[in-house]
Amino acid sequence: MSTIKEYLTADHRHCDELFASMEDVANKSLKNAKEITQKFIDASERHFQREERVMFAEFEQKTGMTQGPTAMMRHEHEQMRGLMKQLLEAIDEDNKDRFFGTTETLMILLQQHNMKEEQMLYTMAQQHLSADSDKIVDMMDSMIVE
Amino acid sequence: MELAGLSTDQAPPISAPLRFFLTAPLFAILAGILILLSDSATLFSRYSIESIAITHAIAIGFFGFVMLGALMQMLPVLAGVKLYKVKTITLYSHTMLVFGVLFMIYGLYFSQSTINLLAAILLVIGFLILLIPMLIALRDVNNFSPTVKAINTSLIFAIISISIGGYLLFGYATQTMSYTHFILANIHSVWAIFGFVGILIIGVAFQVIPMFYVAPRFKPFCKQWVVYIISVGLVVWAFLNIYYPEYAYIAKTLISLFFFAFGTAVWVKLNNRRRPISDVTVWYWRIASVFIGIGFFAWLFNSFLDDEYIVVISIIIGGGFILSIMIGMLYKIVPFLIWFHLNARGYMNIPTMNEMTNKKILIIQFTLYLLSLFGFILACFYPAFLIYSALSFILSMILLEYSLIKAVLVYAKTIKTKPDFDMSAFNMKV
Repeated sequence: MSTIKEYLTADHRHCDELFASMEDVANKSLKNAKEITQKFIDASERHFQREERVMFAEFEQKTGMTQGPTAMMRHEHEQMRGLMKQLLEAIDEDNKDRFFGTTETLMILLQQHNMKEEQMLYTMAQQHLSADSDKIVDMMDSMIVE
Repeated sequence: MELAGLSTDQAPPISAPLRFFLTAPLFAILAGILILLSDSATLFSRYSIESIAITHAIAIGFFGFVMLGALMQMLPVLAGVKLYKVKTITLYSHTMLVFGVLFMIYGLYFSQSTINLLAAILLVIGFLILLIPMLIALRDVNNFSPTVKAINTSLIFAIISISIGGYLLFGYATQTMSYTHFILANIHSVWAIFGFVGILIIGVAFQVIPMFYVAPRFKPFCKQWVVYIISVGLVVWAFLNIYYPEYAYIAKTLISLFFFAFGTAVWVKLNNRRRPISDVTVWYWRIASVFIGIGFFAWLFNSFLDDEYIVVISIIIGGGFILSIMIGMLYKIVPFLIWFHLNARGYMNIPTMNEMTNKKILIIQFTLYLLSLFGFILACFYPAFLIYSALSFILSMILLEYSLIKAVLVYAKTIKTKPDFDMSAFNMKV
């Protein structure tokens, strides 16, 4: 079974692939991009919730840190949710400039967020939660998105 | 593990990196004006006072400033490093470096010993008060990724080459130049450009290219070994250069080969990127990878031609490779920083990154820059091109500065209005 770090890192790459596909379709025709954009947003939301409802919760309980790194990550998830909403609005308005302006911002925000998680938080989580690693990965895998 | 790195106030205040980014094009403009006022014959001699002054307007004023700004921004994100009192130290460092470069240019042009001495002190202290704390902070990092390793190595080369640089300028000030002066000048320039700048760019590219363009990752061999081999190459080269200069080409071959491999890898990764978008930042990476290829082969072969073409090679490597990548990255970093800081302050309706800059102006800037680059190379053989190239360069740097300021004005304008959602209740210090 993969570790928490491996599991969530692979999930990041999955979202990156969807992001690239979304831009690919939108570049050809913005109107046709609604479905793939929704797919990207759903995958990201699932990833956020896997963290917020499972991994972060366990981490916070174990370490007692609720205002530390996980609070920052939760805040950045909110920032990204805001931008994702704007992507759908841009598609509805058929505004290509706004769409790609938003993907550009989202891309950098997303990547620097992923970097912080992959290089620091996941490593910390793996250390603190190693005993329950398999159980946590299982819970994240079977979680139903709210 | 460094928890502080992920805390809410991990990012440095926006003024810290912007201060450096906005100053950089101004020094490039100054360099352009100095080229315009110079005689081509003196410019194409490496050890003429004019070429030393102009080179440093670019090397410190542009490369150094952009790298300090970028390091400040990247270290918290990449390594969880939080710099102590970063706002205050940045202010001191920036002021010292600005005056340091200006004094150095003035001191060299007008042979003013005291001014040169002052410049040497300001430059060394200005750099080191930022670089040494960065290096010390990196010692506490547990998870040393290839990028963090590269940054660490680059900082060591930076500190050594800057100290040598200070000593060399001191030599000009006191008129005590010996044979060692020229050997040290060689080590200073090669270590600063390839060790400090080159290795930093390679390390950052490992992260930035796969991430920003959803391109394939660099191979583990590349990430683990390239920086290491180049570093060993640079140390061996310095040793050979002092004791067995006739064999220095062996180390140069090693260094060139791996920079060349890096340049090719960048090109191939960009070809295989998943993001369809092709903007000026991609074009800048593209021309950089081509110029890496040409530049390092030329640098190697130049050893067999008594270094006759060193000025052309400096233009190819310094301009074509380094300056290109830095301009491209500025176009991404500055608008993003503005968006990021406004968002963290609770503003929701922020212009998108693309709306902060004008795409047409970016393309004009890129074209003028490219023209000036080819023009400068041609001017080494046909001096008549010099004046047009310098003009084109100055214009391109004015447009770069304009684009950066335009983005910063969005920030200034937005913070005059009330945030949509006041984050101060959450005590967000960004």
